[in-house]
Amino acid sequence: MTRRQMLTMCRNGFGGVALMGLMGSSAFGRVLGQVAKPRPHPLHPKPTDLVPTARSIIFLYMDGGVSQVDSFDPKPRLAREHGESPYDKFAVDATQFNSIGKILKSPWDFKRYGECGMEVSDLFPHVGQCADDLAVIRSMVADFPEHTNANYFLHTGIGIQGRPSMGAWINYGLGSENQDLPGYVVLDGGLIPPGGLDNFNSGFLPASYQGSIFRAGDLPLANIDPLEPTSEIQRRKLNLMSRTDKHLLGRIGHAEQVESAITNYELAYRMQASVPELVDLSGETEATKKLYGMDSDDPNTQIYARQCLLARRLVERGVRFIELTCPRVAADRWDQHANLKDGHERNAHAVDQPIAGLLRDLKARGMFEDTLVIWAGEFGRTPFAQGTNGRDHNPSAFSIWLAGAGIRGGTVYGATDEYGYRAVENVTTIHDLHATMLHLLGLEHEHLTYRFSGRDIRLTDVGGHIIEGVLA
Amino acid sequence: MHKRAAIRAVSAAIAILAVVVQGCGRTDYAEELPREVDFNFHVRPILSNSCYVCHGPDVSTREAELRLDTFEGATARREGGRAVVPGNVRKSLLIKRVSSHDSEVRMPPAKTNKVLTEREIALLSKWIEQGAKYKTHWSFIPPVVPAIPKGRTDAQPIDRFVEARLESSGMKLAPAATRSSLIRRASYVLTGLPPAPEEVEAFLLDTAPDAYEKVVDQLLSSPRFGERWARHWMDLVRYAEAKGHEFDFTIQGAWQYRDYLIRAFNADVPYDQFVTEHLAGDLVLEPRYHPMQGFNESAIGTAYFGLGEGKHSPVDTRIDEADRIDNIIDVTTKTFQGLTVACARCHDHKFDPIPTTDYYSLYGIVESARFASTPLLSTRYRMSLDSLQDLRRDLRTEVAMLWRGSMEGVPAVPAAIRWQEVSPADTMRTWAMLGDFRSGTLDGWFPHGPAFEGRGAWGAPVVRSGDFDSLKAGVASSRTLIVGVPGALRSPTFTIAHDTITVMAAGYKSVIRIVIDNFQLIRAPIHGGLDQEISGSELAPYRFDVGMWNGRKAYVELLVGTYDRQQVLMDQHQLVLNDSSYFEVAYAVGHDGATPEIPRLVPKNVPVAQAISAWENFRATADHVAALNGALRMGALQRPDVRPAVRTAKRIKAQLPELPFYIGMTDGNGVSSAVFGRGNYKTPVGDPVPRRFLTALDPAGQPFTKSASGRLDLAEAITHPDNPLTARVMVNRLWHHAFGRGVVSTVDNFGGQGALPTHPELLDYLAMRFTELDWSVKSILREILLSEAFQRSTNAPEGTLEADPENLLLSHYSVRRLEGEAIRDGVLAVSGRLDTSMYGPPVPIHLTEFMKGRGRPEVSGPLDGNGRRSLYIAVRRNFLSPMMLAFDTPIPFSTFGARNSSNVPAQSLTMLNDPLVAEQARVWAKALVSLEHADIETRVSAIYLRALSRTPTEDELVQAVAFINEEAERMELIAGEVMGSEELWAAYCHVVLNLKEFIYLV
Repeated sequence: MTRRQMLTMCRNGFGGVALMGLMGSSAFGRVLGQVAKPRPHPLHPKPTDLVPTARSIIFLYMDGGVSQVDSFDPKPRLAREHGESPYDKFAVDATQFNSIGKILKSPWDFKRYGECGMEVSDLFPHVGQCADDLAVIRSMVADFPEHTNANYFLHTGIGIQGRPSMGAWINYGLGSENQDLPGYVVLDGGLIPPGGLDNFNSGFLPASYQGSIFRAGDLPLANIDPLEPTSEIQRRKLNLMSRTDKHLLGRIGHAEQVESAITNYELAYRMQASVPELVDLSGETEATKKLYGMDSDDPNTQIYARQCLLARRLVERGVRFIELTCPRVAADRWDQHANLKDGHERNAHAVDQPIAGLLRDLKARGMFEDTLVIWAGEFGRTPFAQGTNGRDHNPSAFSIWLAGAGIRGGTVYGATDEYGYRAVENVTTIHDLHATMLHLLGLEHEHLTYRFSGRDIRLTDVGGHIIEGVLA
Repeated sequence: MHKRAAIRAVSAAIAILAVVVQGCGRTDYAEELPREVDFNFHVRPILSNSCYVCHGPDVSTREAELRLDTFEGATARREGGRAVVPGNVRKSLLIKRVSSHDSEVRMPPAKTNKVLTEREIALLSKWIEQGAKYKTHWSFIPPVVPAIPKGRTDAQPIDRFVEARLESSGMKLAPAATRSSLIRRASYVLTGLPPAPEEVEAFLLDTAPDAYEKVVDQLLSSPRFGERWARHWMDLVRYAEAKGHEFDFTIQGAWQYRDYLIRAFNADVPYDQFVTEHLAGDLVLEPRYHPMQGFNESAIGTAYFGLGEGKHSPVDTRIDEADRIDNIIDVTTKTFQGLTVACARCHDHKFDPIPTTDYYSLYGIVESARFASTPLLSTRYRMSLDSLQDLRRDLRTEVAMLWRGSMEGVPAVPAAIRWQEVSPADTMRTWAMLGDFRSGTLDGWFPHGPAFEGRGAWGAPVVRSGDFDSLKAGVASSRTLIVGVPGALRSPTFTIAHDTITVMAAGYKSVIRIVIDNFQLIRAPIHGGLDQEISGSELAPYRFDVGMWNGRKAYVELLVGTYDRQQVLMDQHQLVLNDSSYFEVAYAVGHDGATPEIPRLVPKNVPVAQAISAWENFRATADHVAALNGALRMGALQRPDVRPAVRTAKRIKAQLPELPFYIGMTDGNGVSSAVFGRGNYKTPVGDPVPRRFLTALDPAGQPFTKSASGRLDLAEAITHPDNPLTARVMVNRLWHHAFGRGVVSTVDNFGGQGALPTHPELLDYLAMRFTELDWSVKSILREILLSEAFQRSTNAPEGTLEADPENLLLSHYSVRRLEGEAIRDGVLAVSGRLDTSMYGPPVPIHLTEFMKGRGRPEVSGPLDGNGRRSLYIAVRRNFLSPMMLAFDTPIPFSTFGARNSSNVPAQSLTMLNDPLVAEQARVWAKALVSLEHADIETRVSAIYLRALSRTPTEDELVQAVAFINEEAERMELIAGEVMGSEELWAAYCHVVLNLKEFIYLV
């Protein structure tokens, strides 16, 4: 730019800025002259775009990446070509470990279940029996072959750190029906996924929408245990605080933020009671506990059973988004780079019965119709071995399933190639999954935006199509 | 800008202001359209928000070949008519389309969920009626000195600008804040801590007219100032001390950068210099040195490049590099220019004049720079190195003298060392030389660090078992002075064209790394083999299998020291320098198959006498050294006794202080990048884009030439007086921190999607003033804090809440919540636990049972962080402080100039039940009960003064006493025990820490 051009702009342009600044621009026109409305609490329920089908989501996160060809996507060809080189069959992508072994058949048999006749492997005998309620998507793809990126992608729609998690988006979009509990709860079964707690964070959204991590035990939430020996003492302290705070309001006049901070103390006080009540399972029948597998010999099944039961109780209390992380089984997460058989078996055993119990319990209580249950990992695994008996990461194909609100049970959607290596039919992305979740909650994914960095950012970034094929 | 030009511009502004004054005095702004519709302030926001996605600068998503962001585009003749016909609303299709009732015809299309309001349509219509003038986006027009509004002559310019706006809106001013509010406010804003009770009392008693000014000056000169503003800055550069991702590896020496920031803000380093140091501190010709310790301060600024997320074991290093560079571009352009250039990664920016070519010219700059482990060399260390250098010089003089004496009678070139010519072999090369150091040069490679600063590695005496053996020849060596001195030798960037890279090297506890696509976190499972430790004093081939990276960009790096890759996670992947670390390297070749025979170099014959004098003066070439070694071997030259020199050297070396490292930047050779189609490197589009500045700000687009990467040139472009953004963006940040909202509320975005300035002339005044004050942050902050606007009460005057609910016009001071750090630091200050020690390695983060996952530190830090201020607590990406997160401390992934200020029960639960707050209430109580307070009232008053900087009201006293008595009764204390009960006072102190007034600035 030349000096002259600049000066021309200064004269013609910037004077104008001064003028408008003083006259009140459209930007101020909107603000000045508006009567101050008290802003609602960030978690108050908000209206939806559409009539919602689902009220809550339970997200069963299968940390590490379940093998699709060993669970919901049977591939007989693997058995036929077991031990042969994959390089002779198809183009092989670089993998996380680049230790490409031979074609590896599934160590498990598949059986047909339900009226739909869906094929499920022997890893999931209990879930298999719920086949008529499941919509399995066999054609999922992810963008990343590394855990952390894939986890962020699955949770936030972007494969890097720092974006709002789907649970945060949903609370931002919908608010919460229960102000005495957090609107977004992560039930920590023992394993926090790679990428850490940032998978559950609110990113650039206000901290109001952060996931709250619940641990096992009577005091599942941080700082929920009152400091004071009796609630009477705490009440007395709160009373003094409240009186002094109101005094402050008297001095400074209208201060919306201070007012809602005062209100939050009341909410916090109630949460101290509602959280322990939530995790107190003494009111549940033995039959219910058994249904979930709380009496199992496997301690990991017990852990996951309790989480699934808590998930139901959270849904009952109006919590919008609940995510369950996996128990810490001896063989680590579902990430079987070696010893596939042992590792997958242990992981499956921990979650199979509890999940089936959850689905049945939701149905029995009439909650199935407005609760969306999603079972998914961050990617799939290779149909060829890593080393001799493991499988490496594979973002080009994996299976997930959905059940409950708005979902057509007994559905198998999409398909992979004959090896289960790549999704080839009705290829479905994480953005599609997110779009569908929001859709069922009554939100249009293209309208749920938050301005950051000068952009109206979405959970679905610039993608996302509703997966009509799994909807009822 | 010339002074005369500025004056002309000002008079133009005054002329327009005159118009403004006539137009003012009405109250109903919501309804009335402005007399003159301005493109920047009225029209662009509408078009940008509702039209530009399909009809803006980005050609890739442009619909119907219509663009509305330029006059030419909007008024172009098209089939069916023109979108905008200046002066003719009826003929302008734009108006027709946006106001149509037919949803098929109406714009924006229904699927966008956007409908223009009647007011917006009216504004567009009036703008067209008035000629549809387009203007450059306001922030790209350089600021000029605005006319200072008339008004109270005793008011300073800032207030005249603020008051002129208020007056024209018919709004009243709030009275001045109480003195106790004021000192608390100034103290938190400038230092992030509450004022000490003595400071409050002194201020309340000081009746001098400059009492407040003195307080502000004291606060500005407090060391706490630098800590406060360093933390603000850390929000911009996504500061963290670990890389996050799967294992949260430590970023070596990140905290050195934190300390650099504190020192820089305290020393009030001019902002333009500060910016330059960030972008190119390693390249500036006259760096700043630490006044006491003597290390290079300027270079530490570059550490901000490497504070981003670090991916563990990326399957595709080029994607990883693209993501890393994207993050650097994002942070750099937002921080220094308030622009979101990263939006132009995949397509032209949708709202601002930033094409993808601009993005990839910046991409090339970052791609050309390299991460470099950089030691902090203190004066003490440098002096020791100088002594070593002196020692070597003296030794050579001595030895040369000895040799000259023994040369009598020896032929100029003894026959025994006459080299034979060898016919050139191997004309069918199957290998490529990447670097050949055998003839005494570095062959175009880049040396870095003091290991290569010493003179005369070439021909250095080789000492075996304490005795002189021969002279070093045939290698580049890090032992220019002695072992254990840090340094690196890096090759130019090349494209991998062979299966194997072989480096002929020797050394101890040093490492050779093949750095592919600038990927640094070289580890198993994929990249482990690209890092090999050199071990052995004889030259040996180190082979690297690089077959799978054929075609990739790489450089070879030899480092003194090794990367600790043990399974101790906290300390993993740090460069460790051993006392005896060194490396020597003869050559590096790329080849397929077996290691090739590299032809021997044959020296030329030179007279020995000539060789001696060249050697003595550190000018020896390979030929000279060969002659000397030959003469030594045949006994023509005597082997000197070097034992005393070796002893001295060892003594000096033993005194070398330990060296801290940080990851700074260094330049390699320039690399330019083509545009990546849709952001994907696999689909490059067109020729590489030259490295240059943003074309909107520098339309001439001259390629950068002053530095290989262009970083130094970029710094110059950003700090150039004609840059319209740099000063504005920074003063706006300062204003934001003083008032809780910037003049432009989107402090990181001055582009089309950013907010418009509430006080444009004020912003320009501040920007001009800032540069006038030599970019002094303290001076401009001083003026802001001394303004009456800053000193106003938080009580909104009558009517202003309705007219201006967000207090954009600053009729009063806006109440705001303190940041997490200020809350925690305030708790520690009040309890007396605050340890004001500055600097140093981070205090480990306290780990709760909720903080789990890979990379978890083995040891939890102390609950109270040893009483240190929050900015000294470790920032590990995967283990961020829950208290800070609850209070909106940003997750370190991008620039956050303005934090969220959320308001949730989790915050109340933190203050109510978190063990830290409880513990500090007890610490405070313990101190209180040891003090001789006459009665409960006196003590409560002392507590108030300490926590809230004021005395309690009558009413508050009564309530406090009642609470204390009730508690005393419950605890069954007798009268004499009340003042001494720690438990009782801890309960009361806990209440005070939970008062809203404690965490809000009122």
